[in-house]
Amino acid sequence: MGQEPAIALRGVCKEYRREQIKIPVLTDLKLTVDEGEFLALMGPSGSGKTTLLNLLAGLDRPTTGEVVVHGQDLAQMSEGQIARWRSRNVGFIFQLYNLIPVLTAFENVEMPLLLTSLSKRQRRENVRTALRVVGLEGREDHFPRQLSGGQEQRVAIARAIVTDPYLLVADEPTGDLDRQSAEEILELMEQLHREFQKTIVMVTHDPIAARRASRLLKLDKGKLVGDVIQAQEVAS
Amino acid sequence: MKYLVYVFRNIRRNPVRTLLTVASISICLFLMMLLLSYLTINTEVAHSLSDYNRLITMSSQGFTQPVPIANVATVAAMEGIATVGELTPEDKEHRDKKAVSPFSWYGGRYKDDSMPGSQFGIDPETIFAIMVEMKLPPDQLKAFRDDKTGCVIGKKLAKDKNLKIGDPYPLKGTVYEFNLDLTIRGIYDAPENRDNRMCLYHWAYLDEGLKRDFQGRAAGNAGTIYFKCKDAAAMPGLIKKIDDSFRNSSTPTKTQTEEAFAQMFSEMIGDLQTLIVAVGMAVVVSLICVCGVAMAMSMRERTTEVAVLKAIGFGRGLVLALVLVEAVIVSTLGGVVGALGTKLLFDQFDLGSLVPGFLPFFYVPWTTALFGLGLAVLIGFVSGVLPAWLAAQTSVIQGLRKVV
Ligand SMILES: Nc1ncnc2c1ncn2[C@@H]1O[C@H](COP(=O)(O)OP(=O)(O)OP(=O)(O)O)[C@@H](O)[C@H]1O
Ligand SMILES: [Mg+2]
Repeated sequence: MGQEPAIALRGVCKEYRREQIKIPVLTDLKLTVDEGEFLALMGPSGSGKTTLLNLLAGLDRPTTGEVVVHGQDLAQMSEGQIARWRSRNVGFIFQLYNLIPVLTAFENVEMPLLLTSLSKRQRRENVRTALRVVGLEGREDHFPRQLSGGQEQRVAIARAIVTDPYLLVADEPTGDLDRQSAEEILELMEQLHREFQKTIVMVTHDPIAARRASRLLKLDKGKLVGDVIQAQEVAS
Repeated sequence: MKYLVYVFRNIRRNPVRTLLTVASISICLFLMMLLLSYLTINTEVAHSLSDYNRLITMSSQGFTQPVPIANVATVAAMEGIATVGELTPEDKEHRDKKAVSPFSWYGGRYKDDSMPGSQFGIDPETIFAIMVEMKLPPDQLKAFRDDKTGCVIGKKLAKDKNLKIGDPYPLKGTVYEFNLDLTIRGIYDAPENRDNRMCLYHWAYLDEGLKRDFQGRAAGNAGTIYFKCKDAAAMPGLIKKIDDSFRNSSTPTKTQTEEAFAQMFSEMIGDLQTLIVAVGMAVVVSLICVCGVAMAMSMRERTTEVAVLKAIGFGRGLVLALVLVEAVIVSTLGGVVGALGTKLLFDQFDLGSLVPGFLPFFYVPWTTALFGLGLAVLIGFVSGVLPAWLAAQTSVIQGLRKVV
């Protein structure tokens, strides 16, 4: 692992503009995340968690300030460059899974690989591996509607990790799941963190979920109000 | 290529909408193919006629006006006209006769035909030398010549009406008050792009009836005169010579090539042609709108999905291309059904058997079918541009926020 932090935010401000009115969402944010950290981001609704996540995933640009991820200043890149960068460096996990309903589990996971120059055979191998990691081997040909919520989220996680990205971002990944499925998903994310040393940033409303992370960050009204390195619980 | 699975799944995502889009394109193309083929066939056939070096003399007042039968002999006497022997060497009997024939319309009705094929009074000794592409076996030709009330019909007419040699073929006059009691003596075979639904009979037999009708005022009318020249080079001179020789008679003539004669009919519907093209263009524009709306609605439902793809790293260009390809595939399907389907349909089913007098034969030329297919591709492409552009512009953040 390198010496550079995985993520470095300096003086980041983000404001939305609605006609003449400026709505500040994030103000003068400073944050460093080391490689291999599993960061949980909590805060009340509207505090700017999703906005922050979008900035570090390269989906959005700060109004002012610097966002450096994996040594790249995202603000300096063109839209096309940043899209290509995302395809190689970021895996996305969403609250509502956001799988493509007309594609099978296998095809959903394969989607990010289509952007690479991998051969069909290599793609198949990678997809199989990712599905094995999330415990869904044998479900390749199922469509999302044939899977439970927990299984859908696993497919989504497989899709997020299939390109072996540098950073995983998850916006309330367990927000739509029952306790049991949520536990399994968290287990999986912890495993990705532990076994594959992935840097993970996860937004959550759930304190139990947050306890799984190695570091807990609290956001309120666009400001960081808490930053705790926590001892990792060993899963029961 | 690797994205095609996704594109095809999207096409099948909402089968009803895809089906309706395909149906609207193919139905419009079906009608367009009918009209365009009709225009194309007219032009194609007219052009193909130029190979035969045939001229047609008609009244300068129009082809419905009479031409005296005596003019046939005047024309035959002119230099540059081929003889029967030169054109059909096997026909020894009338070897030295000039290939000139009257061609007179009758407009009779067989049984309760609503749209009968055309019938002409001709010279049986020369007509099959002039119309070399119409083949009649020698024994049938002889039988036809020997029977003044005999007639020869096209093979398709024979098939339509289930007629064979020896059958009576009575025609009831619609314009004239007398009937023609014809007997079939031969069945001719002409290429596909020629009228295979005509009935040809002795001009002399027609004239007998005309002598009785209207106190004989319509008698002695050749209708038009068909003849075949030795070569194309002789034609302009002949045209001038013939028309000059009748200029000061009571019935001046207008002589032209068979090609020009055929085109004259197309020109008669010239304004209609402009109208057809204008309507066709309006149809294309409205199809673009219909397909565009369907595609735009389809993309709107997929806003979040497109946002996810873009988040994963799909660039604008790729998103644009995926939507365009989808639109083009759907419209091409419509084109295959509408344009190629229409061609196949009329290759199997002979529209001419329904309306032989108006359309003795009908087919969709390959050029027209491919044009229709091309039009469908174009419709898909143009109609896809706006939805594709909108999809490519989808903001990832807004798209993801929509549901999350
Ligand atoms: N496009 C936008 N235009 C204007 N305001 C916006 C826009 N997007 C977000 N906001 C505002 O920014 C603030 C932060 O939004 P954000 O989605 O980051 O909050 P959050 O912490 O993720 O909330 P939640 O927990 O409900 O998901 C909110 O007040 C929201 O209304
Ligand atoms: Mg949020």
